[in-house]
Amino acid sequence: MVKKQVPEWLNSSLWSSSTSSSSPLLPPPPSDTDDHGGDDDRLPPLSSKPAPSMHSYATSPSYGSSTVVSDSRTKPPIPVSPPAIVREEPPKREVKDVRRDDDNGTSPNLSSGPSPEEISRQAQLLAELSRKVINIGELRKLAAQGIPDGAGIRSTVWKLLLGYLPSDRSLWASEMAKKRSQYRHFKEDLLMNPSEITRRLDKSSGLENDEAKGEGKGLLSRSEISDGEHPLSLRKASIWNQFFQDTEIMEQIDRDVKRTHPDMNFFSGDSPFAKSNQDALRNILIVFAKLNPGIRYVQGMNEILAPLYFMFRNDPDEDNASSAEADTFFCFVEVLSGFRDHFCQQLDNSVVGIRSTITRLSQLLKEHDEELWRHLEITTKVNPQFYAFRWITLLLTQEFNFADSLHIWDALLSDPEGPLETLLRVCCAMLILIRRRLLAGDFTANLKLLQNYPPTNISHLLYVANKLHVHPSGQSL
Amino acid sequence: MVLVLALGDLHIPHRAADLPPKFKSMLVPGKIQHIICTGNLCIKEVNDYMKSLCPDMHVTRGEYDEDPRYPETKTLTIGQFKVGICHGHQVIPWGDLDSLAMLQRQLDVDILVTGHTHQFKAYKHEGGVVINPGSATGAYSSLTYDVNPSFVLMDIDGLRVVVYVYELIDGEVKVDKIDFKKTATTHSMH
Repeated sequence: MVKKQVPEWLNSSLWSSSTSSSSPLLPPPPSDTDDHGGDDDRLPPLSSKPAPSMHSYATSPSYGSSTVVSDSRTKPPIPVSPPAIVREEPPKREVKDVRRDDDNGTSPNLSSGPSPEEISRQAQLLAELSRKVINIGELRKLAAQGIPDGAGIRSTVWKLLLGYLPSDRSLWASEMAKKRSQYRHFKEDLLMNPSEITRRLDKSSGLENDEAKGEGKGLLSRSEISDGEHPLSLRKASIWNQFFQDTEIMEQIDRDVKRTHPDMNFFSGDSPFAKSNQDALRNILIVFAKLNPGIRYVQGMNEILAPLYFMFRNDPDEDNASSAEADTFFCFVEVLSGFRDHFCQQLDNSVVGIRSTITRLSQLLKEHDEELWRHLEITTKVNPQFYAFRWITLLLTQEFNFADSLHIWDALLSDPEGPLETLLRVCCAMLILIRRRLLAGDFTANLKLLQNYPPTNISHLLYVANKLHVHPSGQSL
Repeated sequence: MVLVLALGDLHIPHRAADLPPKFKSMLVPGKIQHIICTGNLCIKEVNDYMKSLCPDMHVTRGEYDEDPRYPETKTLTIGQFKVGICHGHQVIPWGDLDSLAMLQRQLDVDILVTGHTHQFKAYKHEGGVVINPGSATGAYSSLTYDVNPSFVLMDIDGLRVVVYVYELIDGEVKVDKIDFKKTATTHSMH
């Protein structure tokens, strides 16, 4: 009776996320559950009263509810019924993933080779991409299911989804050339230090020649400076003054770039490759900060930039990989355009700011799972700002490992309504997936759990998020 | 793009109380990478003030300095340039180009920064360049009472140096600049 609001299929152990690596959560044939050795200590208390089940969350959430015991008998039909509700592919994939789940439940597709669905999806994507004029709507739908890592097409698909590349293939070369040269000009204009600027100005006004004549001896001639431009100038419009005011931001950017993904050789380490990647990240962020005096640079932008740059730099096409910096810049601007207001402190409390977005997430959770919402917000008083702030502003890059966040970004970027909608749904799904543990936990436990989100099967997460879209409030009561 | 401040002959507190306020307002920490001080500060407080502007400070001993531990001469390398510092009271005649050129050859530097005359000068000769930043406080010298406060800021960028000369004339700060390049192969300036 307690679980009325959440559908039974959601409660079934088939969908639960793994907790510790020790407990194999998802036995292939459901009927084995009752005979499972590890469950012995858990099952007896379950049948007597549901209360102790709440405290067994540490071991495994899926067995912590009394309904599971009854479900286990009806398990065989369950994998079959979901396909009737939604598309055939994702649940089939779920089952396959589930059975292959001997590692920690993170998407194992990379290690165990592409499944038939993946290969077919890959073929479909390649087919779509090779058309003369690409149907972006169709591409979005295909990408929403996830872009396979194998064929290296993700970077092209992302570029199309973000509008960097036009849908007409024949225009690609000219568009890219135009954008890349534009970025080069930005760099030249904005990344020059004042010494170089003065030198260029002098050269253009012909003052350069005087000292080159090489006199033997004598007093050096003094020349006038233009506009009072000297390094110690305190004038607002002085290039030197602006330069020194920017150094603070440059230092901030530099620090953050060095801290991006320290575990990945691509980004950190002493190799020249890592250094060049760091330089590229730094340049992009500096150019962005200078072009956008409104928001400049805020900590966290480096995290949003990292996956984009990684994908584009690892593009199998040589030409694209070498111009990754320029491409990433424009795509970064595009991605950030939907989320700019989250980074502006003044807008925090406004209708478009981060607080209102977090409230929207809260509302979404309330719609779909009122019991969990009540438990989190009212009973345990876990303010969504404590966990959702990082989820939303950094687009979930910090919650999952790098490969998983790329999959999530596939779903985010392919949403025709914009990444924010999908992001909120994914966050909601993240909460719903660990609902048992959250319902069992108090403030400290829940906060700890939410701030270190446990590893999950990403395709499952995206599937649940998608379901929230399809059935808006059909689940309640 | 390395900014190097060169100043000296402040004679605080004996002949002057402090730097002119207009100079002080311009000298803020965080902009300058090195400070070269020719000497005659004279007290520790001035040393500490300059250290607060920039931690990398090089001082040589002037005849009125109260700290006996400053060296007589000093050489350092900034970017592509070798810079030498000496107060200048040791070089007789004071302020004479040929004698200073001799010192420059002895120290084997491209730029020699000296003081003592309290007059700004920038000379060039085959061996290199001699810069005298003058007195930053406008203190009177052994030679003359008519001294304008002045100091020098060098912008060293590769093989090129832009010397910005800051002088306080009639209560107004006047800034001029001097440009010179060093040829990569030879040791001398052209």
